[in-house]
Amino acid sequence: MSELSAARASSPAAPWRIGVDVGGTFTDMVLADATGLTYSFKVPSAPADPSAGVLRVLRAAADAFGKPVEALLESCGLFVHGSTVATNTMLEGKGATVGLLTTRGFRDSLEIRRGFRENQWDHRRPFPPVLVPRYLRLPVSGRIDRDGCEVEPLVAADVEAALEEFGRERVEAIAIALINSFLNPVHERACAEIIRDVWDGDPDLVSLSSEIMPIMGEYERTSTTVVNACLAPRVVPYLKDLNARLAALGLERPVLLVQSNGGMTSVGRIATRPVRLLLSGPAAGVGALNAYRKAAKTGNLISMEIGGTSCDVMLMERGAVSVRDALTVAGYHVATPSVDIHTIGAGGGAVAGVDDGGMLFVGPRGAGADPGPACYGLGGTEPTVTDAQLVLGRLRPGPYADGSIALDRDLAFAAIERAVADPLGLNVEDAAAGIIRVVEQHLLLAVQRISVERGRDPRAFALVPAGGAGPMHGAAVGRTLGCARVYIPRHSGVFCALGMLYADIRHDLARVFLSTLDDVAPGELEAGFERLEGEARTMLAEEGFDRDAVRLARELDLSYRGQQWVVRVGLGDGAGRDPVDIRERFENEYDRLYGHTQPDGIVEISNQRVVGTGALPRLTIGGTGKATRDPMPLEIRSVFVDPGIGRRDIPVYAGADLRPGHAVEGPLLVEERTTTVLVGASDRLEIDAADNLVVHLPMEAA
Amino acid sequence: MNAAAPERPAGADIDPVALALTRSRLDEACRRMGQVMTRTARSPIFSDSHDFSCFVTDRNGALVSQADGIPIHTGGGGFTVEAILAEFGGRIAEGDVFVSSDPYAAGGNHLPDWVISRPVVVDGETIGFACNRAHQSDIGGGAAGTYNARATDIWQEGIRLPVMRIVERGVLRRDVWRLLLLNSRTPDLMDGDLRAMMGSTRIGVERISRIARELGVQTAFGLLDAILDHGERRLRSALGTLPEGRYESVEYTHSDCFDEVDIAIRAAVTIADGHATVDFTGSDPQMRGFKNSSLVNTHSAVYLAITSYFDADLPRNGGSLRAIDVIAPLGTVVNPRPPAPLSMCTATVAHEIGHAVWKALAAADPERACAGWGKSIHGVTSGGMDSPSPWVMYHWNTLSGSGAVKDRDGFNQFGHVGTLGGITMHNVENYEQRYPARFARQEFRRDSAGPGEFRGGTGIDYEVAIGEPAEYAFRGEGLIHPSGYGTNGGRTGAAGRMTLAFDDGTERPAPRYGVEAHGPLRLHALSPGGGGWGSPLRRGPDQVLRDVRDGVVSREAAENVYGVVVGDDGQTVDTPATEALRASRG
Repeated sequence: MSELSAARASSPAAPWRIGVDVGGTFTDMVLADATGLTYSFKVPSAPADPSAGVLRVLRAAADAFGKPVEALLESCGLFVHGSTVATNTMLEGKGATVGLLTTRGFRDSLEIRRGFRENQWDHRRPFPPVLVPRYLRLPVSGRIDRDGCEVEPLVAADVEAALEEFGRERVEAIAIALINSFLNPVHERACAEIIRDVWDGDPDLVSLSSEIMPIMGEYERTSTTVVNACLAPRVVPYLKDLNARLAALGLERPVLLVQSNGGMTSVGRIATRPVRLLLSGPAAGVGALNAYRKAAKTGNLISMEIGGTSCDVMLMERGAVSVRDALTVAGYHVATPSVDIHTIGAGGGAVAGVDDGGMLFVGPRGAGADPGPACYGLGGTEPTVTDAQLVLGRLRPGPYADGSIALDRDLAFAAIERAVADPLGLNVEDAAAGIIRVVEQHLLLAVQRISVERGRDPRAFALVPAGGAGPMHGAAVGRTLGCARVYIPRHSGVFCALGMLYADIRHDLARVFLSTLDDVAPGELEAGFERLEGEARTMLAEEGFDRDAVRLARELDLSYRGQQWVVRVGLGDGAGRDPVDIRERFENEYDRLYGHTQPDGIVEISNQRVVGTGALPRLTIGGTGKATRDPMPLEIRSVFVDPGIGRRDIPVYAGADLRPGHAVEGPLLVEERTTTVLVGASDRLEIDAADNLVVHLPMEAA
Repeated sequence: MNAAAPERPAGADIDPVALALTRSRLDEACRRMGQVMTRTARSPIFSDSHDFSCFVTDRNGALVSQADGIPIHTGGGGFTVEAILAEFGGRIAEGDVFVSSDPYAAGGNHLPDWVISRPVVVDGETIGFACNRAHQSDIGGGAAGTYNARATDIWQEGIRLPVMRIVERGVLRRDVWRLLLLNSRTPDLMDGDLRAMMGSTRIGVERISRIARELGVQTAFGLLDAILDHGERRLRSALGTLPEGRYESVEYTHSDCFDEVDIAIRAAVTIADGHATVDFTGSDPQMRGFKNSSLVNTHSAVYLAITSYFDADLPRNGGSLRAIDVIAPLGTVVNPRPPAPLSMCTATVAHEIGHAVWKALAAADPERACAGWGKSIHGVTSGGMDSPSPWVMYHWNTLSGSGAVKDRDGFNQFGHVGTLGGITMHNVENYEQRYPARFARQEFRRDSAGPGEFRGGTGIDYEVAIGEPAEYAFRGEGLIHPSGYGTNGGRTGAAGRMTLAFDDGTERPAPRYGVEAHGPLRLHALSPGGGGWGSPLRRGPDQVLRDVRDGVVSREAAENVYGVVVGDDGQTVDTPATEALRASRG
């Protein structure tokens, strides 16, 4: 199943599912039919009108199947969309003009940002521009105290005066974030009511912090609410429009969207919460791991998706990917449930060089798409990881990436010689091998951060490299980690689009619950959980899931007294209502994370959470024809295999020639349309029944 | 201990790829130590203000890597390990753990910062040390919360720790542990924090020994040396961009914590041959109060000021520190004789030392000049000392405005130079849950930022009501005198102010320094603004308009100081009037 493989397909079996991932450069589509056969398509994105990109890729698919677009949509049982439109709105600074109501005395929380600095030594760098200028952050009198009691009434005249100012400044959306509203939202709601009466904007464009994310901490709550308001006028009309256009073309069920938590939701539900879409694209990786679980025969997977500029790492343990409270987008703090993805600047385009003290570096800066690596011949002179792979013989000179670029080995050689080999006194091949070792160590550390640092032993996981550059590094990184297997999806180039077809509907609900564990009133805790569970059931029922199809999981955020960082602890089914049991679960997890506990420490609860999931019927990835004879290599090529072996003549296979049932011993290369797989000297490559590539690594004492 | 150092491999034998790999692995080990500390320590000070640093030294005490640290700790690490070696050299065993703090006897920077150090031993050879320096919540002494503003000698500041073994060959010395806890008003916090420090250094030792075992001990020695050499080359190359010469400056603190007196810190920075010598000869004698800077802190403040002048990615290790010499005459405010008190020094006079060095560097290279940062005024309020749950609340939310640099206005609320903005402030909602406090205000001041083409930070207007009787330790360095100096024609930021308002309706200024007990009150503070960079007459009129609309610059100041006339609607610049006004000012 290579890209654009539909040409050989007759007709997919209805009903099918369609996933469309609109990225910055390409719009990817994956169609999975009723028998589990999967087809993928790729077209350039249309940044000015993302829905045009969606329609274009649908048309490309329809043409390939020889059907009208309407026929494609009419038989589509599930249409899932992931989009960077929210992320790009933030990255490009194109959010709406927002007016913010704050409690008098605190109009600057948003701009003070609690003093968070990414790197304090980089003090010359300004903060990213504040999302709401001070003249649009207007105070209202009225105060709720720390027990949630009103100690000063809300002054309606302040709200009215602020609205006048907002009107003059033509704000497009309004955010309300008042002190202690997470305990008592009465003032925020009163503000909203006045706004409804006075303001002529769409009520969906008013964001209340007590509704968007009722957490303790005015800075994070305000920032999240403001980002939501910035996004609403930009993202929601696009989604509604897309939904309408597809419906007009025959799509019966509403479009589903991938949220930052890796689960899906409907366009209607996201309309008031667009802030939950910020990780929409990469979070679909959760679904992709879900898709490969069965074939890979393990729920313990670590994905390493490497593109041109960055590498996204995600860990699935026993079928679950952990979700954290917050993420940062373009320097803005957003507290929404988000898949735990660790991203580093280490892609194929990562620039290598030697600093003025004589130290070799690779990344984090990338050469981008233009000029790109030196070997692209587009004017780039700085050597990159791709240049090193070319010099080492692992990439083939000539047409690359579906023929869109031609790789020039001489340019790569010259760039490495000038910028790395000569300054370090190495020959060019050793310099290229050094670049690969350094970037692979960055990848290794990235995987360790999401595994070892979270108390997970990577040896118990299979590594899933994806993206254009992932499969080249998978075996080497997996070997150093001590993994037994590296599982390389054929569809690694459309990893996220595929993942959309395998995601579940998911809602993360939370409420603040402040108590020490020892003093907790079990009835109150139970009542809180039941309230959240009721909300989750209602939401899922509206999305068509009856009681039996709904899964609910309870969690608590716990910490020792005085600690700022909480540990999220799952309470399991029915159990976990007893403080002793809860403490034990907390200490097990704490010990796993940090290697010690505080036996006499006081445990505090800060939030209770419910995750509601509506599971869609599982698709099975179907295989294609089994192998009938041994594969023949395309050629034997001289390739630098690893620092121990150096250069050797090894076989190079075409991906299309490797079929389920094939098994070949490394070292070898597999060339797919958009990626190349390197299999090491003691490794064995098998094609499994689902037509994916499995690299078995030798097990030895580390 | 491996006293006889093996012959150092020549630089040419170093594999440059192994060097890059090893450096990043060591940095990662250090970062991981810091992460464990942030997440497991019990006192909020570590997750909030990162008032700790994790570092790794080589076997001689040269700093190899440091992560997640408060900048004013930079350069302090080596002194601690040198003190360990002086005391225990030749008798250090695998499984030993040391604790130390004293600035006069144990290579410490100030008494509240305790260092836990563990040797990394592989194949019987000491490779180096994994260490964690962290500010304790309370160490006894004359005031709760480690800052005794009345101290006139070091004994009034808390328990003094020489270098001690807290763990001997893997066995915890419970007697020492109990001694430490017994000397703190907050033994619970200290117990949790020490465990976190022990945990983080243990992880450091595990990771570094793995690296050394994989490399082989001799190769590891060679690579550690090469990492230091690289650091030295980088800083020398940065210093080489400055014109050679001798640049002098002076900076004052205006109080000895008892009386208003001007105390001078004089710095002469000599740049020659890619090397900097910072000479404090001529600085005033040590003072009575607790702001004297220990020698370790003086070194750190100098390293901080110099390295922060250049690129953020410069290595800050024992190698780069070789490119800097510090001359600090004994008996002065930058290198006092015992028993002078000095707990305040990591804020003040570290801030003044940083300013003095920045001013000297500005004379060498005005383009990169850093305008002055408002000095800190954040005190500590504590209470409930007789109750089961004593509390110590830092007024971090009064942090000052920082100074401008070219192309960047000062940050409106940022903190003092010693942190370089590394303090994370609280949400008032969290603080209200934790302390008997209700906050009324934390907002930018108006007309307080040092004017300039790039203006300083505004500083903060802060008000909080404390509902219980409590003790107040005041540290109002940034009060009364303006402290954020301007540069290149930029002007100075406004001074801070602090008042106390009592339930009986009376109000009075807070003392600059001192410790007082009070019933419920309202504390009102204006923190100082930062200095501006370049002439305010060159500031873009649209930026001035934005400041006016934002309410941080008044229309009068826009006209009088910036030469920008804002139209009657308050929304536009009157361009002809502005051009005429600016032309008349030349």
